[in-house]
Parts: sequence; C-alpha cells; structure tokens
Amino acid sequence: MARLTIPAPELMHSGHAACPGCAPALAMRLLLKALGPSTIVSVPACCWTVIATPYPTTALGVPMLDNPIEATGASISGLRAAADALGLSDVRIVGFAGDGGTSDIGLQSLSGMLERRTDAIYVMYDNEAYMNTGVQRSGSSPKGAWTTTTPVGERSHGKAEPKKDILGIVLAHRPTYAATLNPSFPEDFVRKAERARDLRGPRFLHVFAPCPPGWKYSSEQTIAIGRLATDTGVFPLYEVEEGTCRITRTMNALKPVAEYLRAQGRFAHLNDTDIAEVQAEVQRSWDRLRALARSAERPWPPTLSPPTPA
Amino acid sequence: MIEVRFHGRGGQGAVVASELLAHAAFRDGKFPQSFPFFGVERRGAPVTAYARIDDRPVDVRTSVTAPDIVVVLDAGLLRRVPVTAGLRAGGLLLVNSPRRPEELAGLGPFRIAAVDAARIALRHGLGSVTLPIVNTAVLGAFARVSGVVSLDAVRAAIESFSPARQVENAAAASDGYTDVVTAEVGPIPELGPASPRTVPLVLPEDPVASRSSETLPTADWRSLTPVIDLGRCTRCNFCWKFCPDNAIEFDAAGWPVLRGEFCKGCGICAAECPPRAIAMRAEA
Ligand SMILES: Cc1ncc(C[n+]2csc(CCOP(=O)(O)OP(=O)(O)O)c2C)c(N)n1
Ligand code: SF4
Ligand code: SF4
Repeated sequence: MARLTIPAPELMHSGHAACPGCAPALAMRLLLKALGPSTIVSVPACCWTVIATPYPTTALGVPMLDNPIEATGASISGLRAAADALGLSDVRIVGFAGDGGTSDIGLQSLSGMLERRTDAIYVMYDNEAYMNTGVQRSGSSPKGAWTTTTPVGERSHGKAEPKKDILGIVLAHRPTYAATLNPSFPEDFVRKAERARDLRGPRFLHVFAPCPPGWKYSSEQTIAIGRLATDTGVFPLYEVEEGTCRITRTMNALKPVAEYLRAQGRFAHLNDTDIAEVQAEVQRSWDRLRALARSAERPWPPTLSPPTPA
Repeated sequence: MIEVRFHGRGGQGAVVASELLAHAAFRDGKFPQSFPFFGVERRGAPVTAYARIDDRPVDVRTSVTAPDIVVVLDAGLLRRVPVTAGLRAGGLLLVNSPRRPEELAGLGPFRIAAVDAARIALRHGLGSVTLPIVNTAVLGAFARVSGVVSLDAVRAAIESFSPARQVENAAAASDGYTDVVTAEVGPIPELGPASPRTVPLVLPEDPVASRSSETLPTADWRSLTPVIDLGRCTRCNFCWKFCPDNAIEFDAAGWPVLRGEFCKGCGICAAECPPRAIAMRAEA
C-alpha cells in the first residue's frame, strides 16, 4: 500500500447526517485526524449540529458541546477556563462554526475570545451562506452569488456586496496563528491543523467548504471545485504565524476564475463583464497577499503594531 | 378527521406532496393542515411530512403518530423506517412500488395500494432515473384510493402551486390515478379503533447522545454505488482520503474496500481516482 499522507485514525464517525459530497463533513474528518482524541469541540447552530447529532447518536469520537449560534467564541473561552480549573490544560479546545455564525452573528464573541487571548482553536468552515436554514446570504457570501435572499431576476443579480475579509478581522487581533485551509489539499490541511494544535494562545483556521446543494453543483465535484478555488486565487492557501505570512501553495500563474465560477449554478447568471470584474479583484488580492508574504522578514503587516507581550 | 403521514427521501418531494394535498383539500372545501417533521432534509435522507384534513378547523398541532393513511414515496424505506408505526388496522398504506400490492401484504393488516410512480415520473420527464420525482404521481393515486380529495382538486393544486413543470406534474397525477392498484386478496379489514392521539414520548435509556452514529447506516441515501476495479487500482488512497463519509477502508493488503452501509454515493471517490478505477453504478 502507498504510504498514507495523512493520519489513519478516524475520530469522525460515519452515519452522520451531512448531504452527500459535503465538504464541511470532510473538513471535520481531517481536522480531528490532526488534533487527536484529547479534544473538545464546541459547535453552534449550523449544519454541523445537525450533521453530528442524528438523535440519540453522535458523529464525533470526542466530546461535543452544542452552543447558541452567537456564542462560539465565549463558549470556548469558558471551556478553556473549566478545563484548566480541572487540571486538564493539555486538552485542546476547539470551536467549529459556520461562516454565518462566525463572521456575522458570532463576530463579537469571536473578537472577545481572540482579545482575551484564549488558548483555543477557532475553526470557521466557510460554505459561504447560511446553509442549514436553506441558503440565505451571509457576510461571507461572495459578490454575485445567488442565494435565496439574493435572488437572480429583474431587480437582483445575486449578492451585490463583496465577501467579508474574516481573516483580516482576525489578524487585527494578532492571533498566535491563523491560516486558510482547503480539504481539497488534505496534506496541507492536516499540517496546518497540526501546527495549530502544537501552538498556544488564540488560533484561527479559515476552512474553505464547498456545499453541493447551496452552490448548485453535482456532489462528485466537491474536491475539484475546492482545488479550482485555490488555483484560481479565489481562496489562496497561506498561514500567518506570529505576524509572519507565508503562502503554502505558490502559483506562478493563476487559472482563470471563469473555470471556477462556471462550475457552479450559483454563478450561472454572471456575464463576461461580471466575470472580468471578479478576475480583476482576485488578481488584486493575490498581488496584495504576495507582497505581504515577501515582507516576511518584518513581522506583522505594516498596518498592525506588534503584539503586546501576553 | 383524516390524518396522513408521508415518508420519502430528500429530493422526492414528500414535503411538497403534503402541501399539495392540503391545497387540494382546501379546494374541495375542507379544512387542511400540512407540515414537515423538523429534521434532516438532505438529499437521499429519510423525510417525514404530515397532513390533516377535516370538515371543520383542525386545532391539533402535533405530529401525526396515529395516521389513518400512510404514503410511502420510496419502497426502499420499508426496510429501515417503521413506516406503519401507529397505522390502524384497516388503515390505508399507499406505496410507490412496481410490485403487486398483494406482494406487500406482509406489511400488516392494512388496505394496501401500489403505484409505479417512478415509471410515471420518468415517462413525464420528472427527475432522473436515479432520483425520479414521484410525488405528483403518488398524489393522483392517493386521490383514487383514499377518496379524501378529488383528482380535479389535486390537478388544480399542482397547476397553481407546484414549484415547477406544472403540466407534466398534473399529467403524472392523472396517470397515478389511473394506474394505482389495490390489493384484492383477503378481506379488507374493518377500520380498527383509533390509537390515542398522543403517544407517550419514549426517551432512550441514555439521554445524552453517547451512541456512535455508526449505529445508523446511511446506505439507503444513495442511488449510485461506487464499484472499484482492483485491476486498475494503484492503492494510492485518494478515494479514502477524500470521502466525506469515511466510507472507504483498506483490507490487510491495502486494497480499498467500500463500507457499503455508510456510502452515500456522492461520487467523489470515482471523480478523484487518478487511474479511474472507480465507476458509479445503479444498484441492482
Ligand atoms: C440567534 C439565532 N438566529 C437564527 C438561528 C437559526 N439558524 C440555525 S442554523 C442557522 C444557519 C447558520 O449558518 P452558518 O453559520 O453559515 O452555518 P451553516 O448552516 O452554513 O453550516 C441559522 C440561521 C439560530 N439558531 N439562532
Ligand atoms: S447543506 Fe451544505 S454544508 Fe450543510 S450538510 Fe449539506 S452539503 Fe454540508
Ligand atoms: S461515493 Fe462518496 S460516500 Fe461513497 S465511498 Fe465514494 S466518496 Fe465515499
């Protein structure tokens, strides 16, 4: 047998209630492979509460706390304090929340956890809409995307506003570690999750998470679409450790974004002008990211002051 | 009051069927009610929906636990889901199945009717071979065997409220009406006494979910199954690595083996296999 490139043990059980081809399900599987059994996961209202708990069972081989959608950050600060009080300081505390629950509804709670410098890992799986309640737009939905609340018709052409830069918001808190992860690149995914596991202080993982019904594509395309997102520059892979940015999948030339957009029904209405606009924006942020990575010898982006010692 | 429970799979239209039934009953001058069970509505997952129909306003708001009629949109559910739970003796059980209703007699002392709704749906281009949208053909059959609503009302409800393809769906309802067969063997049992309208909630012994979800197979969710050609397989592990359901394992020699009870048939393993050693096949 070829050597396994990611750990063999499975801490996510089969029999869970995710749709066929769900990238958030694969993301949890890979994450727990990296973190190991000494982990507690806090999940707010989102697809993953439903996926994990076909009553009376659980799909996680580790303890799970179900928390209100706006409280993931607070819940992991509390779990950390409780674990420490019980002398379980080696237990890893993880928040695992959707993009709506993180970048919109739970933003204050996330900010509080980062600012308190809670020793925990916050994972945002980004399926780019409120999927569990039927595809409503979130702050993290990309510009142009069809959702049920940004329909396509005479007076609406998909979402009008650009995607919120959650990692920018997180980096403004100067976390120990922040990274973008994509389950289409399992080795990179696991390596970053292991890096997060081994550090202390607030850590944040932004996970790209295609969703077949919400993005309107056929379920076998999940991995291919994820790969295109990175190779077109829509979702570049990088990590920021103590303020130093490093791109983990370098590309000399980006693939055209049209390849990524055309693969999904949620972008089917975009015309050539729309696509050219997306292409220009993607190129701009890719150039900005590369400039940031080149300034690697200077910790923290120039706009940010160095972290005050904890 | 007539209480109806629908069982289907995500994507077959069970929830829409219960809504259309309510619209049809309303047209017939009845007081209807319709709502889904609040649960997982993933494609392929078992879905339950309810309807109540009466000559006066319906006050009760709870889920239907003692139905007069049970409608099953997918015969595959008969194996795993207790679809007849609470159905009274002599109650009506309508199943989407190409089989003769007599062959389903083992399901219990019910009036059993069968309609090959998948064939009707495909004839009208509704859904795909792997996932035909059978709800409207079944509703036509329902009108005939239940007598609770008229076919005209069902067709009118479809024409005004069906989310898509109104003409084809109305035609499918008419075909369901014509094609449905009721079992003729044995005496049709008298309608037994209604069960109590509220059934005590039985909690599992262990109220905190501590049982693994692997006690709940998801094999029934899929319509296509990956078939691995070991002659082409290079044991690269890609199928294992990318499966969101952890439904591939290895045998002692490192060859991939499908965990058939959990595969949902998403097709990722087939799409990602570098030597194209996996094909997605409809199950026999
Ligand atoms: C305060 C509050 N508002 C609304 C809801 C209903 N709700 C449950 S899950 C969900 C969607 C969450 O979306 P997201 O965080 O993006 O995760 P996803 O469902 O996409 O996985 C919503 C709105 C809730 N549980 N609590
Ligand atoms: S709706 Fe999307 S995110 Fe939610 S379970 Fe289904 S595939 Fe996964
Ligand atoms: S079809 Fe999907 S669920 Fe089934 S084994 Fe392949 S990847 Fe896993």
